[in-house]
Amino acid sequence: MSDHTMHDAAPGEGDVGEHSIGDDVRNYLIGLGLAALLTVASFWVASGTRLLYVPGVPMALAALAIAQMGVHLAFFLHITTGPDNLNNALALAFGALIVGIVIAGSLWIMYHLNSNMMVPGAMMDMPMSAPK
Amino acid sequence: MLGKLTWSAIPFNEPIPLMTSIVVIAVILAVLIWVTMKGYWTYLFEEWITSVDHKRIGVMYCFLALVMLIRGFADAIMMRGQQAVAYHSGGYLPPDHYDQIFSAHGTIMIFFVAMPFVIGLMNFVVPLQLGVRDVAFPTFNSVSFWLTASGVLLVNLSLFVGEFSRAGWLAYPPLSELKFSPGVGVDYYLWALQISGVGTLLTGVNFVATILKIRAPGMTYMRMPVFCWTALAANLLIVAAFPILTATFAMLLLDRYLGFHFFTADMGGNPMMYVNLIWAWGHPEVYILILPIFGVFSEVISTFSGKPLFGYRSMVAATMTICILSFLVWLHHFFTMGAGADVNGFFGIMSMVIAVPTGVKIFNWLFTMWGGRVRFEAPMKWAIAFMITFVIGGMTGVLLAVPPADFVLHNSLFLVAHFHNVIIGGVLFGAFAGYNYWFPKAFGFKLEQKFGTAAFWFWVVGFYLAFFPLYVVGLQGMTRRLQHYDVAAWRPWLMVAMVGAICILCGIACQVAQLLVSIRDRASLRDRTGDPWDGRTLEWMTASPPPHFNFAAMPDVTGEEAYWGIKQRAIAQAQMSPLPKYAAIEMPRNSLTGFVTAFFAVITGFAMIWHIWWMGAIGIAGAFATFVLFAWRDKVEYELPADELQAIDARRREAREDLVAGREAGIHPVKIEEKEETVGLGLRDPHGGYVGPAPKRIVTGFGFWVFLLSDFIMFSGFYAAYAVLSHATAGGPTPEHLFDLKIVAIETACLLLSSFACGMATIASRARNMLWTQVSYLATGLLGLAFLALEVSEFAKMLGEGAGPDRSAFLSAFFTLVGCHGAHVTVGLLWLGTMMAQFFTKGFKPSIMRRGLCFGLFWHALDIIWVGIFTNVYLLGTSP
Repeated sequence: MSDHTMHDAAPGEGDVGEHSIGDDVRNYLIGLGLAALLTVASFWVASGTRLLYVPGVPMALAALAIAQMGVHLAFFLHITTGPDNLNNALALAFGALIVGIVIAGSLWIMYHLNSNMMVPGAMMDMPMSAPK
Repeated sequence: MLGKLTWSAIPFNEPIPLMTSIVVIAVILAVLIWVTMKGYWTYLFEEWITSVDHKRIGVMYCFLALVMLIRGFADAIMMRGQQAVAYHSGGYLPPDHYDQIFSAHGTIMIFFVAMPFVIGLMNFVVPLQLGVRDVAFPTFNSVSFWLTASGVLLVNLSLFVGEFSRAGWLAYPPLSELKFSPGVGVDYYLWALQISGVGTLLTGVNFVATILKIRAPGMTYMRMPVFCWTALAANLLIVAAFPILTATFAMLLLDRYLGFHFFTADMGGNPMMYVNLIWAWGHPEVYILILPIFGVFSEVISTFSGKPLFGYRSMVAATMTICILSFLVWLHHFFTMGAGADVNGFFGIMSMVIAVPTGVKIFNWLFTMWGGRVRFEAPMKWAIAFMITFVIGGMTGVLLAVPPADFVLHNSLFLVAHFHNVIIGGVLFGAFAGYNYWFPKAFGFKLEQKFGTAAFWFWVVGFYLAFFPLYVVGLQGMTRRLQHYDVAAWRPWLMVAMVGAICILCGIACQVAQLLVSIRDRASLRDRTGDPWDGRTLEWMTASPPPHFNFAAMPDVTGEEAYWGIKQRAIAQAQMSPLPKYAAIEMPRNSLTGFVTAFFAVITGFAMIWHIWWMGAIGIAGAFATFVLFAWRDKVEYELPADELQAIDARRREAREDLVAGREAGIHPVKIEEKEETVGLGLRDPHGGYVGPAPKRIVTGFGFWVFLLSDFIMFSGFYAAYAVLSHATAGGPTPEHLFDLKIVAIETACLLLSSFACGMATIASRARNMLWTQVSYLATGLLGLAFLALEVSEFAKMLGEGAGPDRSAFLSAFFTLVGCHGAHVTVGLLWLGTMMAQFFTKGFKPSIMRRGLCFGLFWHALDIIWVGIFTNVYLLGTSP
């Protein structure tokens, strides 16, 4: 079964056996450092600093979040683009595609619905009486 | 003590449900007595109930589907009868009962007939076609089946105890909300589907892992039979779509049980969000049903035309294209809700585009038949009826995909006729084709022909008579779900439809007779060779019925149509393929886990439906205990020695000698050209680079990874709900008032460090260092606990300030999204506890190491979800 380790790897395994323990620990440390850095950056962006163009804040937050997710995937979950990770990476891509479609599609549809239907916020808040 | 359950829940004064209940209970009792008298219990228990054999499970799925088909059809013919007589009168079904019947009909036919039938066929066939011995996770396969059966039990229980939903098969709010459906009907619907949905999701994970990781040596992707490809696509869709359904139903349950406001008509709730989400599941669902059926037809048409499938590669491409496109059309189910021309235009065009790959398939099947020697056996008859019927249904579908036409036709019987046209003419005809085709493989004898042919004609004629009139009355403006009507012009058409339903009834009666007669005459219908249809794929290589290990030696695949090649070579050389080297194999042991899990699932579901909280607690505790016991067991496999395998295989080979010598009727030797593809210096690997099933560690890790992705998709449902509802504060507190970023920062730090500690534990366990493994896992757990404590205190503070989830839609979405992540952390901590105990008592065994791998994936994935939450909820909510 040794052939498999050449062509195929379980997700989360990284390169088994090629690294010393020190290398592995360093890998996690780099991941932790990068993740912490990106988290701090996110909180700083959201803190209302005047150094940033305010309408750009949501976009910046989204970019930082996606970057941090990438860091977690690469350094903690060890998902790579190598040939041994093809199934793992493709499954992830499929999942990410569906997540994107569900969230973006729902927002797009519901935004258009709300603006077309002109639901006044006040009317939505009124308690409705039960039918007789 | 018993919640809402009282004697008034039993329908004593409603004659129809009461009589049905009595008859059904009598039949069940009779069966139980018969089984006891005959002493079949041991056999049933050992060979079926505890079986983890994919073939047995597949047969049980199909049996379940056939039984529920009769239940669903009983509902159908009652509705047809009602509409036939309810002209200017109330008919014989009161509105209250009629509404339950059409809701139950749709729910049962989709979830408990079509789904189990398709999953049953996949279960039975896929491992055989891949040339392997079982699926990736045999015990989970059994759990899947029994959870589906639990859902079936709950739905049928609603007939005797209480009532069923009156809100249609998809339970649109606000009608399905507590205010407008205060009874237990919607709760029966929701819990039954949640429980069976978990089973279906596990099936999806199981089959994706099986098809991608466990195949016979040489079975490369492009050598897989088309049925395996379509099964792969369908299971990818299950993994992607069912979590959305789970999330949507969870939100409706929270609305009904805890006063949340996701889909209520007040406090900022948005019923249209439910419609959006449920169809994001609902449209892929129809492809989950039809894609494997396309696979069935591909196998059937190729076998009975005696030709390889025309355009194999285009078939694979079309299947995978549909797999993706099916996620881009869901709005066509609610064009009229008001999203406007831009959105409708996009989804209308996508809906028409998806007809293209389907058309490719139709032409491929036609060209497969063209020039072939077509044999009109039962499966082939169904296939031809399918092609004609499905094309008509597809074309009315393209018509409905035009938004302006949909504005005229939506909610009419034209729509009802359309989807029955594609579901009966597609899914059901295909299921019957597969049933006739693989029955001899499953039981060792063919189904008899006379009743089979009669059933075929009754069904096909009955279908056209029952549903084509509905196209007409639909165009005349008759809406669906009418309990009575006053338009004289509709009446004759509805009478014709009634005649059609009676025809179908005759068809079902013929099918029952066919089964009974076939069992009686099984000696003369016996399939001795294991290859009754002159098949082309690997399932026909083994005996009928196959031994529980399928193949004594895994087949060696060297090209497309693996079995056809082996067979033709053997016939050409007039001798069997050389005796393989038999080696001992490991087979999974039977397990009661599935049955016990389902038992507790039914207890929990019933308790929740009737608000019997103590019983619900028992059910959940029991399920958890079962899970821990399952995880703790050591002996999961037993060994079959090589000589035993050889002895069994010798019998199979003996039965084949006639076939090889060309003496078997119906087998036509075809001269095949030996294509000696020499690439380079003749060093071509006949296995095409695929050496066989992956080791357990990879299979387990990959299966869990796929499961995690489905979890992400469930979260995306909650994310979407939060994003849409985050401004619906209903005059209540807003994010700026509620969120304390300092606490969020500390929570994030806890989770990050916890993840790091988990990574250290992984490294330590790989180095076989017990002390550091335990210390690191302990740190992981403590940091996780700290995170949880902070979150609970944050929630408690908000609840104390009156900012609970019942205050507004925004708060409902907030508590659900963040709370669901918290629930994941809690589950992770429970898991971590049992896993640390296992590491401690059992050491670094491979099975425990696999669990460590999965836990690591789970724990790190929670970080990723948290990054999405703190950005989307907390930072975006409080930033300027």
